Amino acid sequence: MVRQSNRRGFLERLGGAVIGLAGANALAAAVLPDEADAYTNFCGHTYTTGNCPAPTGLPRIDRNGYPLRAHDGVPVDDLGRPVNGRGQPVDAHGHVLKDADGVPLAPAPRTKTCETTGEDYGIKLVLEGSWYRCCGGKVRRIRDCCGATNLRINGDAALVGYCYPGHHVFCVTYYETAMPC
Amino acid sequence: MLSLLLAAGAVTAVIAGIAGAWSPCGFSMIDTIGTALGDARRSVMILATTTFTIGALAGGAVTFGGLSLLGGLLGHGATELRDSLAGALALAAAFADWRGWKIAPQIRRQVPERWRWIMPLPLACALYGLLLGLGFTTFVLSFAVWALAGISFAADSAILGVVVGVAFGLGRALPVLWIAPRIGTERGDRCLDRLALEPRLWLGMRRLDAIGLGACAVLLGGSSALAAGSAFATDPSADGAAYAWQQLGGTGMLRTAAATLPLPGRLPAVGGANVAWLHGKRIVISNGFPSPAPRRIPAPPHAMVNALAVSGDWLIVRDESDRGITNLFAVSLRDPARRRYLAGTAIPGAIGRPSIDGSTVVYAYSSMTGSAIYEVDLGSGARSVLRGATANVLYANPTLRNGHLLYERSDRCAQELLLGSPSGLGVDRVLLSLPSTVFRDSGYQSGYTHAYNGASVCPNRISGGGGTRTLGATALGNSVAYVSESPVDPARTRIVTVPLG
Repeated sequence: MVRQSNRRGFLERLGGAVIGLAGANALAAAVLPDEADAYTNFCGHTYTTGNCPAPTGLPRIDRNGYPLRAHDGVPVDDLGRPVNGRGQPVDAHGHVLKDADGVPLAPAPRTKTCETTGEDYGIKLVLEGSWYRCCGGKVRRIRDCCGATNLRINGDAALVGYCYPGHHVFCVTYYETAMPC
Repeated sequence: MLSLLLAAGAVTAVIAGIAGAWSPCGFSMIDTIGTALGDARRSVMILATTTFTIGALAGGAVTFGGLSLLGGLLGHGATELRDSLAGALALAAAFADWRGWKIAPQIRRQVPERWRWIMPLPLACALYGLLLGLGFTTFVLSFAVWALAGISFAADSAILGVVVGVAFGLGRALPVLWIAPRIGTERGDRCLDRLALEPRLWLGMRRLDAIGLGACAVLLGGSSALAAGSAFATDPSADGAAYAWQQLGGTGMLRTAAATLPLPGRLPAVGGANVAWLHGKRIVISNGFPSPAPRRIPAPPHAMVNALAVSGDWLIVRDESDRGITNLFAVSLRDPARRRYLAGTAIPGAIGRPSIDGSTVVYAYSSMTGSAIYEVDLGSGARSVLRGATANVLYANPTLRNGHLLYERSDRCAQELLLGSPSGLGVDRVLLSLPSTVFRDSGYQSGYTHAYNGASVCPNRISGGGGTRTLGATALGNSVAYVSESPVDPARTRIVTVPLG
């Protein structure tokens, strides 16, 4: 009897757990976006606000907001050229690129992606709130580029997103942390 | 050279368009629009003529302008080869048109007749005009049409394509404009009959086309030869008829109206009737070349000179010291002890190659915080910024000559060679545009929904590795601009010539 009772109790708990898990999964599926479908343009970015214009395409930035090449995280200048710490264009091995006379190529401006977008569009923009998601085995920080604007880069109404009160998201960037997930 | 090609191409295109009047569609158009006369609908006929003309112009611009854009998408390499192929095509077509050979390949299609019945006449005529202007949707009546398509594709100039297209559309519209309003009158009917009964008129048109194509072939051949003259070279410098450049791995070269000569040194520069070059640890300035007594100015002792510019009264020197400091300074040729310091930096490459016109120096200075082209008046020392940006743009390789500023502007999408006023008034003209050389992704990650990422893309190029050529040093001649282009291996740098048009 006791054994039967225990067995029944175990099965009930197991069944409850399964139902609970299924329910949680269903709830999660209903609430959370699917990684492959619900993110727009890049992993971790929900909703539809467009990318901030970035030198090489995807708006990957470093922790200070400067542009990085998305696929390998190499620092790039505003022209999209990989650069060293002095801003000089370098090749894949980190050697300074030179012209036909052997003189190093000229450095170009390297500016913060969000702030420069603001200058281009005539709005004061700064990186404000953010959200973290697991993308490709690393924790990714989605950083909203925000300002006192009701329009976003798409040309329609801006969302509040992770911006501070009174601000809206103009465009989005992201920062790849070193944290595995 | 481009402007001459533009003119020759446009004239040829007008004639090729007129020759199209001898096609089934050409006759049909005259008749369709012309028969609107005679009843109370003259205004409809005028409207139909107008819409036909607009359609033809638009169609021509779309076809030939589109072909030139398509040619541009293939990249800007192999200019000589493309010019040579286009020239050969023009020559072959000229020969065939002169001989009146049967057109092949022929497009045996006509505009849809039913439009005439189911649409208002002006609308139908607009669409008819568009189809005829497109050139290759119906019968082709001269080899010139094929040749002009090839020239537009190869010329790597959207302006040329559009002008040729508009000219072709105009040619297609002219017979309609001329004859259609007269149909129904004795003169008009006779004109149409004559058109239909005199194939020699058509042959005459084709022969005129042949002459035009011959001119195009000569111009394309000439431009090809001009561009091919400066391979493995950089640092162009021009002063009137004198043109100097640095042969890679060799000495400087000087071309004058009389001859092309090697200079006994490197880093040649011409200006104010002077020629300057670096010979060992001395900078040599010669009034003309060869000169019996050239002047020699000692180069800075603990630095390596890596750029020179010269005018009648001033020598501009850029050097890099043993400690890696780059300096730019001016030396008075009247009193070499008189010098004016212009710029200095610890970042090699930050100060660009200088240029001087009279006593006005221009140079680019770029760093991580900005890029600008500076102008310095050596007489007064006054300095001003001619072009500048604190983000997104690199300005480089300015040349100042006779009140014109030639320079390069690069952003993440393109590299452009521009010509404009030093003051920045007016719109600067793009003489050459190359795609940026940087790797660009598509603006979205594979496997994710992609939308609203317009700001991440470049309209002039696709994702991937980008162009392979980087623009470098410039010079400005009387009718051409010179610019060096470096492929991935800078040892294969060459100087290309761009007509000012």
